[in-house]
Order: sequence, then structure tokens, then C-alpha cells
Amino acid sequence: MKKNYAMTLLFLFGFLASIPLYAQQTVKGRVTAQEDGEPLPGASILIQGTSTGTVTDIDGNYSIEVPNADAILVFSFIGFDSKSLPVGSATTLDVVLATAASDLDEFIVTAFGISQEKKSLGYAAQSIDSEAITTSRQPNIVNALQGQVAGVQVTNSGGAPGQSARIIIRGINSLDPSADNQPLFVVDGVPVDNSTVESGGTPRGMTNRIADINPNDIETMSVLKGAAATALYGVRAANGAVIITTKKGKVGQVQVNFSSSLGFDQLVKKPELQDQYGQGFSGVRNDTSFWPSWGANIADENDPNYVYQDNWTRAFNTGKTFDNSLSISGGNEKATFYGSFGRLDQEGIIPFSDWARTTAKLSGTVKMSEKFNFSGSINFSNSGGNRVPHDRFLERMMYWSETTDVADYINEDGTMKTYGNTNPIYDARFATYEDDVNRIIGNLNFNYSPTDWLMFSYRLGTDFYSDSRTEITPGPMGIDGEQALSSTGFIEETRINSKDLNSNFYITLKKQWNSDWNTQLRLGNDVFERRYDRITATGSNFVIPGFYNLSNTTQIFASQGKSVRRLVGFYGDLMVDYKNFLFLNVTGRNDISSTLPKENNSFFYPSVNLGYVFSENFDMPSWFTFGKLRASWAQVGKDTNPHILGATFVSPSVFPLNGQVGFSKNSTFGDPALKPEKTTSIEFGTQLAFFNNKLNLDVTYYKSNAQDQIIPVPISDATGFSSYITNAGEIENRGFEFVIGGTPIERGDFRWDVTANLTTNRNEVKSIREGIDQIVVGSQFGYGGATVTMILKEGEAYGNIFGASYVRPDAASDATVLDRSLTQLIGANGFPARTGNQLILGNAVPKFFGGVRNQFTYKGFELSFLIDFRTGLEQYDQFGNFLSAFGKQKDSERRNETVVFPGVIADGSQNTKAVWLGQGVGPDGVNYGAGFWRNTYRGVSENFVNDASFLKLRNITLAYSLQPQVLEKTPFRTARISVAANNILLSTPWDGFDPESFSAGAGGNAIGFTGLGFPGVQSYFVTLNLGL
Amino acid sequence: MKLKNKIQAILGASLVLSASACESYLDVNENPNNPQDAPISGLMTNITYETSLNVYREGSAVSSYVQYLASPNPASSSDTMEPLNFSSLWFSLYNVMTDLYTMNEKAEAEGALQYLGAGQVLMALNLGMTVDLFGNVPFSESFNFSTVTPAYDDDQVLYGNVMSLLDQGISNLQATSTSSIGNDDFIYGGDIDSWMKFAYTLKARYMIHMKGDAGYSAAEVLAAADRGFTSNAENAQVIFFEQRFNPWAQDAINNANLLLTGWISEQFIQALDGTSYPTVDPRLALMVGTTDDGEFVGTVNGAGRGDAPEQGARSTLVEGQYYTTRQAPLLIATYAELKFIEAEAAFETDKSRAYTAYLAGINAHMDMLSVNSSDKEAYLADPSVSMGADALTLDDIFKEKYVAMFLHPETWNDARRHDYGYKDMTLPDNINPDLGGEYIRRLAYPDSEVSRNGTNVPSVSLLDRVWWDQ
Repeated sequence: MKKNYAMTLLFLFGFLASIPLYAQQTVKGRVTAQEDGEPLPGASILIQGTSTGTVTDIDGNYSIEVPNADAILVFSFIGFDSKSLPVGSATTLDVVLATAASDLDEFIVTAFGISQEKKSLGYAAQSIDSEAITTSRQPNIVNALQGQVAGVQVTNSGGAPGQSARIIIRGINSLDPSADNQPLFVVDGVPVDNSTVESGGTPRGMTNRIADINPNDIETMSVLKGAAATALYGVRAANGAVIITTKKGKVGQVQVNFSSSLGFDQLVKKPELQDQYGQGFSGVRNDTSFWPSWGANIADENDPNYVYQDNWTRAFNTGKTFDNSLSISGGNEKATFYGSFGRLDQEGIIPFSDWARTTAKLSGTVKMSEKFNFSGSINFSNSGGNRVPHDRFLERMMYWSETTDVADYINEDGTMKTYGNTNPIYDARFATYEDDVNRIIGNLNFNYSPTDWLMFSYRLGTDFYSDSRTEITPGPMGIDGEQALSSTGFIEETRINSKDLNSNFYITLKKQWNSDWNTQLRLGNDVFERRYDRITATGSNFVIPGFYNLSNTTQIFASQGKSVRRLVGFYGDLMVDYKNFLFLNVTGRNDISSTLPKENNSFFYPSVNLGYVFSENFDMPSWFTFGKLRASWAQVGKDTNPHILGATFVSPSVFPLNGQVGFSKNSTFGDPALKPEKTTSIEFGTQLAFFNNKLNLDVTYYKSNAQDQIIPVPISDATGFSSYITNAGEIENRGFEFVIGGTPIERGDFRWDVTANLTTNRNEVKSIREGIDQIVVGSQFGYGGATVTMILKEGEAYGNIFGASYVRPDAASDATVLDRSLTQLIGANGFPARTGNQLILGNAVPKFFGGVRNQFTYKGFELSFLIDFRTGLEQYDQFGNFLSAFGKQKDSERRNETVVFPGVIADGSQNTKAVWLGQGVGPDGVNYGAGFWRNTYRGVSENFVNDASFLKLRNITLAYSLQPQVLEKTPFRTARISVAANNILLSTPWDGFDPESFSAGAGGNAIGFTGLGFPGVQSYFVTLNLGL
Repeated sequence: MKLKNKIQAILGASLVLSASACESYLDVNENPNNPQDAPISGLMTNITYETSLNVYREGSAVSSYVQYLASPNPASSSDTMEPLNFSSLWFSLYNVMTDLYTMNEKAEAEGALQYLGAGQVLMALNLGMTVDLFGNVPFSESFNFSTVTPAYDDDQVLYGNVMSLLDQGISNLQATSTSSIGNDDFIYGGDIDSWMKFAYTLKARYMIHMKGDAGYSAAEVLAAADRGFTSNAENAQVIFFEQRFNPWAQDAINNANLLLTGWISEQFIQALDGTSYPTVDPRLALMVGTTDDGEFVGTVNGAGRGDAPEQGARSTLVEGQYYTTRQAPLLIATYAELKFIEAEAAFETDKSRAYTAYLAGINAHMDMLSVNSSDKEAYLADPSVSMGADALTLDDIFKEKYVAMFLHPETWNDARRHDYGYKDMTLPDNINPDLGGEYIRRLAYPDSEVSRNGTNVPSVSLLDRVWWDQ
């Protein structure tokens, strides 16, 4: 049956290929500015009434093929008047554009890689160019978006080489704690996989798969935010889409570009730590104690074997990044090509962490005739490295004695050097986890245009990868007296194979009815398939120590998980343009998903949006350059994961035992009557430009409601299941996005450009299905009952963190939110009283975030910096909880002080009881046991749920490009050297490592738990770009 | 025109083709990883395996309450009887009961009455364990997804279910079955005779809990005991595997690897080392490890290890002893337990039967541990042990049962029935102040139930007793 479908496509192919080919005409030229005669690089040239266009190169040159002499070329550039010129018989058209005047004709790449005039859009979209992408030298292109786009929140999960980063557009749209709320990534019109497959055991900081793409190959990225922008990609883009356009060869001489960059990473920030007390407990020194820093006063001991080791500096290395990229491109009127190689090597700040990526890309376009062209690209990447168990590393750092050198970790015979606790560096070195990913992304595009009003397009995209992982934890070496990392040791081999296939066929019909009315209709069919297979074999108990092979183990378990997901979509998209100032766009799409019950698996969703350029309709004052209003309403459906419906049985991985295989009822039950989710969003916005584009402003209000959310609802185990996947609720996100930009100064060779964006977000759980009171999203451990939980309740915001707090007698008995300003109750023992009653201690979703980018250019010099911030959020500081349990935080230097805690005692009067903060018997003769921090402080979650706002100098770059007069004497076409620094300034009330890091990885929704993740880093780079 | 026709033809054809092809193309959602159905014997395998683990999990949860084990860390919340979240234990109990419900339904439909009978016995055991920990729990509205918030049934009523499940199980085990249990049964390998004795032993166990209640009959307990186990060979147990070690052995291995667990309470050490009682029990050296100096030193519950290092200064579980060998049996019910139940039931009416059963219980446990005969004789000869039928007290029976049931969760039921009346047993250090100086009487309902089925979860304190502990 599948064959039939493929046959249909083949048939269409054959048809397309059999079309005769016609010749076409090429126009070349140079676009310059009227004011100074300088070339305008990046100016757009579009064939009027089509979506075909090009942009000028760095020297302002362009070349474009036009179908015939009647074609009209539209030349445009931001801040300049656009010009329309008929081609006629000309082969060269040099164009001079005048500054100022009316339009803000910017083009943006939207769905299916179609370049569209931003002016005509009825929804918000923003794009960033290759320079803004590569300036910060982030190996992961998701990080490169940080702080640059309104409504887009990018969070680094940590500073490990190759570690994932999470991108969320306009808030979390799902109540499902494990849902991936990230947008769809589309490369050259074809969706690609951006999943993060974390390790099964302790977090290892795995990579989100879009990081397989070399940022140096990217021309632009646009972010399509609302459902209106993404209706054409269907269910997979329900959270928005990031449209990536890669570099293409350009007509003209062959160009060679080489870029080399060397960078260094350092720990950006660490918590404030005490350095006065050493290993031991109760103030007593003990050099083999489990307790790393509850011991004696180091100064009092006055012993060279008992000094503060500054382990938190010693344990971290300087990370290194070396990134080289070479590209060759060129072409003529008939064909263009682009080829590149890239190699990135990274070593992390945690010892033995590394990651490398090798990429090779080849793409080309062929214009067989003015009616038929095709293009294709293939992108190979190999990536992987040793992923240290960063969470466990920092946990073991926590347990490690502050008076024992952590870097002295190995004995001559290779065993661990320790006084008792596991050395974190030894563990990082020998408990390895290596991944090796081979990936091929390919696509083919065919366009056939039999007449000027009709075009057939077909795109086929493939995205295949294999991910081969090996985890080894050695067992004992058999050396007397050794302390092994594991009593048995184990090896786990994981093999993942993932294959994505995308097929997209569409027909474009265009009609210019008269000078006022212009329409374009697109009809298409879209097919997606993902096949995923993961096999894991674990062997433990090595027979021969140090020989790491599955066959050398006595206990072997294997498991397999595979899935197939298929989607078929049919869509239509109608654009109507009235007098080039009123734009209407209506879309409709019907998706059929293999993952939903057959009776509910087909679903239709429409969208409509309207753009009105009022500045073309009314007489505006001269300073008012451009003004547009836009509105949109859209729905998008969403399916679910494959193979979740109904009840099934599982065979626990422990079997076979004694040749028997056991089965158990699966504790997850998928509602057999599951319906697709439906997200409805509305958006209003305006785009304004003043003073000849010296100042522009874009404001958007958005609101989206995701209904019939498909959620695995935790249900009573007594029902026979623990999780019931059903349509269970609705969540609403709303907020404003502001983008303000401009050129405040432009004098001679000096220019200052600035772009700023700000986003606000509010969200609310509108409803949860009857019978279900609340949904637990996740929780993170804290000592002494300080564990915090993120819980969703009807009428409350997403991201509320619940936990234990101090007792406050004046709080209302039914209060659900902690009021920290109320007086605390002091217990009879003189210490603040704690309650395990779970109150809302904070919310982990930022209320405001944004960024400001400044760029100064003077002749060949260029200085740019990007500042980003977020505010209005709290996070759980698990690290702080651990520090206070182990006597490592700065505050514990007060351990020999006697204090009176402010607050009231049970009878309501002011507390006057003085207590000692230390351990054991205090100066007052009272036995204080484990002391204030262990007995009281660490068990109160509110101490660790803190403001996680920050303001960061995300990037600062100083670059110099050789001027043409100098370049003429060299063999180079371009030469640029730059120095850059990332994250060198960080201002935050947060006491800990960089508040941005979190241990869970990019895949899920359980934000707000920082864990003990890989700390954030600051980086310095030197980059050289040469062009031949 | 010609072109237009061509296009129309192609489009028409492809639409028709794709419409029909689409349906089957999309029909790929059947789960490739998990089967839709499972054979009875596969369910039996997992049920017997998981039931033994449930006994371990429960034993692990309550061993510090009865002071078999103690935490090496001070004020550890399991030692100090704080409300803990037993969500995963609860899940494990209901997970096995769900599988039992499913297996029993299938077995009944297929006429596989042996499976049904064994299933009913194990359902009674898992339900009994759940009720003993938590009191009122869901059962009558459970397992069949009739509601997402199943009601809680009265614990005394549930004991009626336990008894009737055992009676039905006994009757079905004897009936003609369409298929026979075999190696898929990790407890008895299909030995129906042993299953019957196991069922009667469980009847005795659950009936003795009711002592003091109106429905209790010592005669019925003794009648059940008569038809229960007759030797250690019939003990209900799962012998662990090369592929999966006995979990107590795993704890001992982990402790040796400094993942601290399985530290022995001072209470247990002193009950056997001659401190609390006049004799030194030869079993001590076969059950727990010594310090580096070869001494038995326990850890005081709630106090932690103080200045003691992580290894070598306290008694812990050590690998290779009876309970902690990698392929050691995990005990579900033993002949020794039955003998002590018999002793307790006969105590009021037939002192000499009680005394005989008491001695048989000690013997059975010593045989199980392979205590050498001279040590055994010496111990049994001590007047504090062989005090004679007239001098036998309930305290004596409970003390010896406490030793014989090492690490078994049934001891917590005994402790509560006996009001924690073991000699020299004292409240743990740093005890949860909310208990007002009393011992814990039940577990708190797990967080998972409170958050998922909150309206039905009874509001209880840790001092509220289950029905048979009034």
C-alpha cells in the first residue's frame, strides 16, 4: 500500500522530468547608494509578481535570471527607496538607490523557504543574519539565537562541550511535563530532527541534534512565532518554527572562504564558599571523615596537612575550542554550487569532557531553463565526545574534603587516591560515556513553471542519523586496598537509528487581476515519516578487569524500543494583495496522523491574517516613514507520540531469568478515544518606521490557548495504571513583544546601529479535566525534606514551585503562596520553626526577557555587543541546599556565633532566646547536635528558591576588516580578524553557579530546577576570516 | 489545453490513489515494543518474582522501625519515624495486584484453575501486606479502570477479602486445571502441595493478627497451622539469580562499596550478643558482620555512627551470609514463622503445645542458618531459652520470632501487636517530635496518592492504628 503512494510520487516525478526546457535571460549589475556611491551589500532584487529573487554580494553586485524581457525587477534595501525597473533587452542594470522615503521593504524567509516581503506579513516574524549567528562563536546554533529575537527564550543547559540548549517560543504550550515544546527546525525548506536523547542514568549533558549543523554554513535564520506563521508546516510546528537558509553559491567568480577560530572557556561564576573550616564533624578534625567541612578551624590547626585546597578552582580546567571552516562557492547563469568542510574541537572545563564535530556540505542549483530548475544539498556530520557525568561530578565535589587536594586523584597503580569518598576527577576520567553520531541530511528541490502563473514544486528531504553510545564504569582492578567506582563495573552499549523522510509537493498559482488586485494560491501535500530504533545492551560484573566488552560480563540485559510515526497533510494557502497596502492571507490544512485513534486522526485547521500598510493609504508627516497594522487568528492541531494508545504488556528488562520471561501490565494507558490537541492563537501588531528608518518599532500582542491537551495524567496506582494519557486541560499564554531598532548616529564613516527586544509572558492553566486535581510536573531533591515540586493547578500559572517553608503565624490558614514578609515563628529551641506544608515559593517562568544589540562601525572597524536579561522568575538552588548540608557555604563561617533569631514565639511575644549556630555543645552548655544549618536551614525549601534574574553581556566583539586599498596588494578578496568574549559580565542576585544552567537537558518542561548541572562558562575567542 | 488535461489527469489519479493508500500507509500505530496480550505463565513469572521483592521492599521500609537496621547518619528520617513518602512501595504493591487481577481473570476464563488458585493466594498476600502498612486502601474499585479515583475500603472488611481469597485459592488449587504451573513459578516451580501449605500458613499469619478481636479463634489458627508448612523445605521463597542478585546481598555489596546501607541496629545486636539476654546467640555471627576487630557493634537508631568511620567500626550486612549470598533465597513465609504463630495461638489454651512449637521454631530457624549442632544444643540448653512450658511467656515467643524473622516485614506487625514490647527496646534518638514520645503505628499515605486521589485518601496521623492493632 505504501508502494502505491510512492508510485504516485514517482509518476509525478516522471512527469516533471519530461517537460522540455527553455532558455532564459540573465541580468547583472551593481547596486549603490545615491548618497556616497558606496555599494549596498545585501540589497534584495525580486522579480515582480514572483517569489524569485536574489541579494547583492559584499561589493553590491548581483546576478539574476529573469524569465523574459517583460520581467520587472524590484530593487530594495532597508532605509532606501525601492526601485522597479523593466528588464527589456538589458543584460546589465546598475541601480542607484536613494536613501529615505517610504517603504521598509525587507524580505524574510517564511514557510517552505519562500522569501516574502515582510511588509506583506499579517503576523510577527524576525530574522537574524549570518554575522549575528557566528559572532558569538557558539557551536550550537540554538545558542546563537540567545537574546536576539523577541518572544524567543533560549536557555543553555550548561557549559559542557556539545551540551543541549533549549528554545521556547512564546511560552510553554503544554501541560505535559515531558513534552518537547521546542519549535520545528527547518533547513532549506525541509524539517530536520532537533531531539535531545539524554542518557538513561545520571545526566551527561547530551546534544540537541540541530547542533550537528555548522553555523558557518548558515545564511539566515528566521523565527516564525505564532500559529499563523506555521500553519503550513502542520502539527510539527505547533510550537513555532525556526527557518534556516544555508549559504548558496552565487553567480560569478569562485569564492573561497576560510574561517578559523580559537577560544577559551572558564567558569563564569561560582557560589560564595567558606575557606576557614576543614574536614571533620562537630568542629573536630578527622582526615577520613565523610564530612568535608564541618571540622576544625584551619587556622587554629596550623598544620600544612590541613589547609584549604581551593578545590573549586583546581577541579576546573580552562576549556578550549578550535573551530575551522572552509567553503568554496561559485557558479554561472546555469548552475551554482557551495561546498564546505568544518571541524570543531572542544574541551570542557570539567576534566575529560570533550566534543568534536566534523561537517561536510555540498549544495548546488541548476537552472535547466527559465521553466525548470532544481537544487539539492547533502550535509554530512559526525559528532560526539566523552560526556562527563556533570551532575555527579558536582555532587562528588560537594562531598569532597576541602582540606584534601581534589586534583591529586590517582595512585601509581591506577587506582583511585582517596581518603574514603569518591574522587570526582577520577570518576570523570574513568566512568566514561561516549557518543558517536553520524548524520546525513539531504534534500532535493524541483521547480517547474510551465507558464508564468503556474509552478509545480517538489521537495524531498531525508534526515538519517545513527547514534552509537558506550558507557563504561570500571569494576575493581583486583588490587589490594583499592576503592573501586563500582563493586561490579558495567558496560552499556546503545545504538540509536533514526530516519526522517519528508516529501512535499505543491502547486503555486498566481494571478495579477488588474493593477489593484494580485492573488497567489498554493495547494500542496506533505508527507512525513520518522522511524526510530534504539537497542541497549548492558553487561555488568566484568570477569577480566579492564577488558570492556559485553562478552566479558556475567550479567547481560538487553532492551529495545522502536517507533514509527507518519503524517500526511493537505494544505492550501491563499494570498490576496490589494494595491500593495492591504494583504490578506488565508490558510487551511488537514493533517492525518498515524499516532491518533483512526476515528479521530484526521483534523482540519484554518488561519487568517491581515496586514494593512496604512502609511501608503494616508498622507503621513514626513518623519513618519512607514506604518503597518496586522492581525491574525489561527488554529493548529497537534497529534501525540506513536504507539501510546490502549493497554499493553511489558517485559521488564530484568528477564530472562532462569530461562523464563515475565510480563507485567504496562502502567501507562492511552485513551482509545484520544482527540488531537487544538491551539488557537490571536495576534495583533504594528510595525512602524520613523525618520527615514532611523528608528523603527514593532509591537505585537499575542494570546494562545492550547485546548484538549494530551497529557499523561498521573492517576492512582490502584486503578491498574499509573499514567492515563488523555485530553486533559487547557493552558493560556499571552504577552507583548517589542522590537525597537535604529541608527542613532550616522556621520561619515561612523555608524551606530542598535536593536533591542523585550518580551513579556503570562500564562495560566485554564482548566484541568474533572476528577484530576493537579498535575505533578517534576520535583527535585533537597536534604531534610526540602524537596521541591512543580505542580499545575487550575487557575494558577505554569511553573509554580512548591516546597517547605518557615512557619509564619500571621499567614492566612488557607494561604497557598508564601509571604516572606510576615514574621517567622521561633520554636521553643530558639530556632525558626519549619512546616512541611507545601506552599508556592516562586515561579520559574520569566515574566520579562529581552536583549539589546549595539553595533558601531568605522571604516574597517566594527564593535558590537549583545546584552540580554531575564527577570521575574525564581529557581530552586539544589546546590545551595547541598552546600548548607555540608558546611561549605560562606554563611557557615558564622558557625561559632550565638544569635537571637528575629521572630515571635508561640505566645506571640518577641523571641529573645539566644542560640549557638554550631554543632555539638555550645558555649552555653546546650548540645546543638548537628547544628543550625543541618538541623533547620537545609530542610526549608524557601531558603533555596531564589530570584534567578540575570543581566549578561552575552557577547562583545571587536573586528577589523582590511580595507580595499590594502586588500588589493594581497591575494585576498576579504580579510577580517576579530576578538570576542561571551558571558564575561554577569549580574545576578543568584548565589551559585550561572543561574542559566540546569541539569535536566533541553528535552523536557521541568524548568526551575537548577540541579547540580554543568556550570556555565565565559569564553574568549580570536577569529580570522579570509576570502579568496 | 492539452497541458491542463494532463495536469488534471495526474492530479485526479494521484488523489484517488493517495486517498486509498493513505489509510493503510497510516496504519502503523500498533505498539512494536509491547504486546497487546501476555500469556498467563509470563504473568506468573513476574508476579512471583515481584512478590518476593515486595517482601524485601517492605522489609527494607520497616526494618529501622523494629530496629533490625539503623542508619549510619544521625537523625535519618527512617530511623526517627518521620512521615516518609512510600510512593514507589505503593506502586510496587498495586502493580503486582494489577497483574494478579489480570492473571486471575484470564486463568478463570481459560479454566487454568491452578494459576487462579496460586493467583488468589498471592493476591491475599499482597493485599494483606498493603493493609498492614496503610490500613484502609483501595481494592473494590481497583484494577479495572472503572474510575480514576478509586474509593478506599475499610481495612477490617479487606481482611475478610484476604481470608476469602485464601479459601478460594485453596479450593482452586485442588481443582482440575486446564494447564499446570511449572518453572514459570519462581516460588515453588509448580508444586501444588507446597502452594496449599503456603496458603494455610498465610491463613494462620493473617488470623493471628486478629488476636483480641471478636472474630478471632485460636482453634482456627491452630487448625490452619496443622495444614501449613511442615519443614524448611516448604518455605515460600524465591532463590535469586546469577543474573540478578538477592537484594539484601546487593545492599551488603553496596555498603562494602561505601554506598552506606544495611547497618545493624544496636537493639538487634544486643538482643543476641548476651547484653539483653543471658545467652550469646550463635546465629549472630551467621547473620551480620563484625567490626575490623571482630566485634559486634550496633548503631543506635537515630544517632548515626558518630565519629565512627564508614567501614570497619560497626556491624553491617556483609555479603556471603545466609541472608546476603548473591543467590540467597528471599523469604516470603517460613516454617519457623508458622511455628511461632502456632506457639502464640496455643499459648492461652495449650501451654505445652505452645512450648513445643516455640522450640520447633528456634530449631527450624537454626537449621535454616545451618548452625552447627553443638552451638545449637548449647543455646537450646540455656535455661533462659528452654525455660519449660510453664515458664514460657509471650515475650519469649516474640523475642525468638524477632530473631527468626530477621529483615522480614512481618516483624513490624508483631511489634505493633506486642506494643514494641521487646526487651530493652527504646525510642530512637532524635525521634519525630510529632509522635509525642510514642512509636510509629502505620505508614503515611504516599504523596502519589495524595496528589492523584486526594479526595479519597483518609486523613491519618502516624499514631492512628490499623484495625487489628487497637
